[in-house]
Amino acid sequence: MKRSLFLALLCLLTSRPAPAEIRVLPSEITLSRAGEAQRLLIEGVEGSLWTGDRTSEAEISTSDPKVARVEGGVLRAVGNGEAVLSASVEGQSATATVRVTGADSPFTWSFRNHIQPALFKMGCSTGACHGAASGKNGFRLSLRSFDHEWDHQALTRQAQGRRVSLAEPEESLILLKPTMQVPHEGGERFAQGSEPYNRLIEWIRAGAPPAREEDPRVERIEVLPPSMTLALGKPQQILVRAHYTDGHAEDVTQWVKYGTTEEGVAGVDDFGLVTVKGPGSGAITVWYASKVATVEFTVPRERAVPDEVYARAERRNFVDDLILEKLASLEIAPSGMADDETFIRRAFLDCIGTLPTPKEVFSFVSGKDPDKRSNLVNSLLERPEYVDYWAYKWSDLLLLSSKNLPQAEELNSFYRFIRESVERNKPWDQFAREILTAKGSTLENGAGAFFKMHRDITDLTETTSQAFLGMSITCARCHNHPLEKWTQDDYYGMANLLARVKLKNARMEGITEVSANSFGDVLHPRLGAPVPPRPLDGTAIPLEEPGDRREHLAKWLTAPENPYFTRAVVNRVWRNFMGRGLVEPEDDLRLTNPPSNEKLLAALAKDLAEHGYDIKRLIQVIMNSASYQRSSKPSDPEHPDDRYYSQYIIRRLPAEVLLDSFSQVTGVPTSFSGYPEGARAIQLRDSQVASYFLTAFGRPIRRQTCSCERTEDPSIAQTLHLANGATVNDKLKAENSFVTRMVEEEWSDWIIVEEIFQRALSRSPSEQERAKALEALAESPVEGSDQARREAIEDLAWAAMSSKEFLFNH
Amino acid sequence: MFRVDARKAVHFCDGLTRRDFLHAGALAGLGLTLPGFLKLKAEGAVQDTDKNCIFLFLVGGPSQLDTFDPKPDAPREIRGPFKPIKTACPDIQITEIFPQVAKVADKFSIIRSMHHKGTGVHDVGHQAMQTGRIYLNGLEQPHVGCVLGFLKGSRNDLPPHVLMPRPIGNTGGNMPHGQSAGFLGKTHDPFILNADPSDPNFKVPDLLPPEYISTVRLERRKNLRDLVDQSVAQLETSEDARLLDENFHQAYSLMSSPTAREAFDLSKEPDSVRDRYGWNKFGQGCLLSRRLIERGVRFTTVNMFETVFNETTWDIHGSAPFSAIECYSDLVGPMFDQGYSALIEDLSQRGMLETTMVVAMGEFGRTPKINPAGGRDHWPQAWSVLVAGGGVEGGRVIGKTDEIGAYPSERPVTAAELVATVYHTLGVDLETELPSPGTRPVPVVDFGVKPVKELL
Repeated sequence: MKRSLFLALLCLLTSRPAPAEIRVLPSEITLSRAGEAQRLLIEGVEGSLWTGDRTSEAEISTSDPKVARVEGGVLRAVGNGEAVLSASVEGQSATATVRVTGADSPFTWSFRNHIQPALFKMGCSTGACHGAASGKNGFRLSLRSFDHEWDHQALTRQAQGRRVSLAEPEESLILLKPTMQVPHEGGERFAQGSEPYNRLIEWIRAGAPPAREEDPRVERIEVLPPSMTLALGKPQQILVRAHYTDGHAEDVTQWVKYGTTEEGVAGVDDFGLVTVKGPGSGAITVWYASKVATVEFTVPRERAVPDEVYARAERRNFVDDLILEKLASLEIAPSGMADDETFIRRAFLDCIGTLPTPKEVFSFVSGKDPDKRSNLVNSLLERPEYVDYWAYKWSDLLLLSSKNLPQAEELNSFYRFIRESVERNKPWDQFAREILTAKGSTLENGAGAFFKMHRDITDLTETTSQAFLGMSITCARCHNHPLEKWTQDDYYGMANLLARVKLKNARMEGITEVSANSFGDVLHPRLGAPVPPRPLDGTAIPLEEPGDRREHLAKWLTAPENPYFTRAVVNRVWRNFMGRGLVEPEDDLRLTNPPSNEKLLAALAKDLAEHGYDIKRLIQVIMNSASYQRSSKPSDPEHPDDRYYSQYIIRRLPAEVLLDSFSQVTGVPTSFSGYPEGARAIQLRDSQVASYFLTAFGRPIRRQTCSCERTEDPSIAQTLHLANGATVNDKLKAENSFVTRMVEEEWSDWIIVEEIFQRALSRSPSEQERAKALEALAESPVEGSDQARREAIEDLAWAAMSSKEFLFNH
Repeated sequence: MFRVDARKAVHFCDGLTRRDFLHAGALAGLGLTLPGFLKLKAEGAVQDTDKNCIFLFLVGGPSQLDTFDPKPDAPREIRGPFKPIKTACPDIQITEIFPQVAKVADKFSIIRSMHHKGTGVHDVGHQAMQTGRIYLNGLEQPHVGCVLGFLKGSRNDLPPHVLMPRPIGNTGGNMPHGQSAGFLGKTHDPFILNADPSDPNFKVPDLLPPEYISTVRLERRKNLRDLVDQSVAQLETSEDARLLDENFHQAYSLMSSPTAREAFDLSKEPDSVRDRYGWNKFGQGCLLSRRLIERGVRFTTVNMFETVFNETTWDIHGSAPFSAIECYSDLVGPMFDQGYSALIEDLSQRGMLETTMVVAMGEFGRTPKINPAGGRDHWPQAWSVLVAGGGVEGGRVIGKTDEIGAYPSERPVTAAELVATVYHTLGVDLETELPSPGTRPVPVVDFGVKPVKELL
């Protein structure tokens, strides 16, 4: 029953032979002044998919050329009235309605809506040119034209009014320089008589009016087509329309800043023409007048995968449905399931940062219970190592280190708070709330140390956003965010919520008392005054409102309708298991960096919010999915998939897990200064504990909340250290090493080989491995020199522990 | 090695991005392999002008007045205890603590107007001088030598950038010192010597296997590792796993490379040469730098000291745990005098100076007025830097300070401009953008920063 439902669903989603049609975009067009133009798109449609740009093949005309004409794919207003626009391609046809109003009314370019966007698009107000903080050559515009007052002032009032000359518009520097009629360091930006030129000169002739309060504002921007399924060699034009607060819309396609999230799949030029480079998916990002929008593109692989492959693929929960749906759209087949040995090793390492023992592997693999995998997941969630591993992870996030908190009691107290939260599986929203509203002595409530670590208000604001929203708002500190909707006003509204945190030395040295202050505001640097406290896109509270402002922030932050908060933690947990964030980097959630599978991220976030922010449950959903349990072997060996989860993504073990694994295999713990014998690396509270190994293998220093601090990049120092350094060699050589027992108890070659493979790789050797390994041991038999035998065993163990199979989770 | 990173898009000059390559690798099975890199190089996206660079970091911050910017006419509490002396260039005077440096003054130029606008903390200057930026707690910027290694890769078995003897440790600011690859990733960190080259038993740790591991065992380990690695074939499809193998391969070549072994083997130098450089960490570091550059390393960084606490350094506050001004003539000055002059002479005699830039610098200058403890405190408003080789003209003085050496009075030079000069000399286009974990592309130097053309 269930399966046939999936089949039906799949047919709907992937059916290729749906009847092909064409559509005109936009489907309704209103032009509100004489000569106004709207670029047209004639787009192929199959079912719900937009399948490509057919404008160049189309014949397009209007029913009344006195209302509007079509030339070269562009519709232009002629006179007031209504008309029908018709297009046809190879016998298919489509229509759109056209209405022209205001063709006989006078028109002036608006500074905010037409002149500033032109200045940005022509490059004038970019960071490399006059938008730089110090301007260029004495002329400074606001970055990306976000400040109309400043820009108007700069154009019309500075430089003795030479930039804009009302008396002789042609002599305005703003026209002479970018057209290179007089030397311009920035080169030629546009030609005389070009559209930007005409806009500017007409605006100057009209008296160079400033922005008016009653001018409509851009409310949103719309991208057409709404999505794109593309193929190699077929370019696609996109259209961008700005919708204004007064209800009218304009074609701004040529004034938009374009970008792509996947350069290798599709690129876009300055005029919105998308060209395909290879299979995959991603989005074109568009930016216009501080508004951003994206449009997704999908480029399926050329070789089609039969529908039944997806229908037959293993599915356990909604994660699999949504992943398979995505894979089907890309023609990527899912890999088969990982075997039990691979699964248990993978699950242990990903969930609790610990290798399974040979005994654990044996009992799991030989178990017959059909639910044994989910039972294993449940048991992992109850292990003490789970607490170590996840407390470590959240300590990375919250920057626990003796550099940030030199007072050991305070560091320990914050660590204890995190650890207990993990142990009790504290709901994530509660965890965040307790940190952000922490009060009292940092000794009793460790969470308060968060405020001690981030005394600087910008640091506190940005860290809060980075840690809990997975989002960097740093750009907006100085200017509107160029890649997000956040404005400088949003930033300072947010900062002001955190402006009244009072830190007082407690009676005990180094311990702090955190409380809410009743006064103090952050000044908005441009306005020189505080703005009402307001969480990014939440509601403001009055400046004079009494009470702890942080409560308002925490309430907004953890509200189920706040999409950022839930997505941020889902993405972090997802990446831990799946090797790649749905959004990557994991803490760069932003409109212009959309997830590789939007539906899946949305579904996981909804699921987490509906289930009380239960992190363990989220882990179960992920680990129990077939997608987590797939083999790391690509379904198409020529084309491994590193982002759509058709296979398990191979990744190196984190530094701490690796070091602990060496200790576990050899039986020789690592000693850490200040920690008891036997302490494991994932139990360290402080990122400053000296360890050459951990540093070399990319332990984060916990200076800045950023997933980029941890690196899994290989380096030559790492390999030299593995080969020649003390970490592995000393453990092998140590008196208490497992090798000692093997030699002293005169284990047989066969058992030694088996034991080494089991301990290090959680599997038996293959026939070939066994034969070669036995051969190596046979050169130094039991009856020979103990030292020679020991060395042979050490070498085999070294080889197992320095293999890719050991160093990488797969 | 040249590393391609999935997370980051970096724009090459031809408009391709790093992500293009990666994606091509992931989806089309192409991958940016070494030949791909060489192809890029052939296409001119990366240029190899075969120039090298040595950074001599005078940790602690030498006093401009007591070294390269003497002010003999200033009052006694300003001019300090050392007299100016003549040099090989009639127009240039330096203080008497550098008699040998004076003899090679025609080979280097002095920037006397170096300054930075950050706080007068050691760490800030370390960052500024080696990365061109001050970043405190922000995104960690890469050292110039790491950027060079990232862009150009190694020439042979030897790593592109070697740092010796150790990275700068604690100098009080609790901030990074600009000696790593920062956001470029560990792959591009310098190869750290981690040993004292003046030690009679000097050996690079981890470079060679411990003595108890014989070549027979090494071979056995290698074979057994290869054996185990055949089992999980799909590991080959992972970019990172392939890079790890590439690193193992490099590590083995380094371990077994006669070139590498020989390059690090200072005992191969005649005693007379070792004497000439001076039997201390700095002198032998200069010598080792010459050996390494001669054998294909592109960049070396020599830290004269690793800390300023409880050690005699350029950090002459005059009271414990710092140094007293007299140490300039007793110990620190002679050490530099000997090592630096030997290096310049040696490079010049071997015809390597033309292709090897040598920058000797501290992180800031010192207060013009001698303090009550008889020392001088931190002063980032003005100090002097020596630049030689790699096409830099010798015998010039760039910039000037006022009559008490307090502020630049002519042609102030910033750390970013110095770093831009190094990039320019080494053939790195100043508009080259580096892949950073954020969304903002990071050019090697900030937009608009130009090389100090007076040096070229």
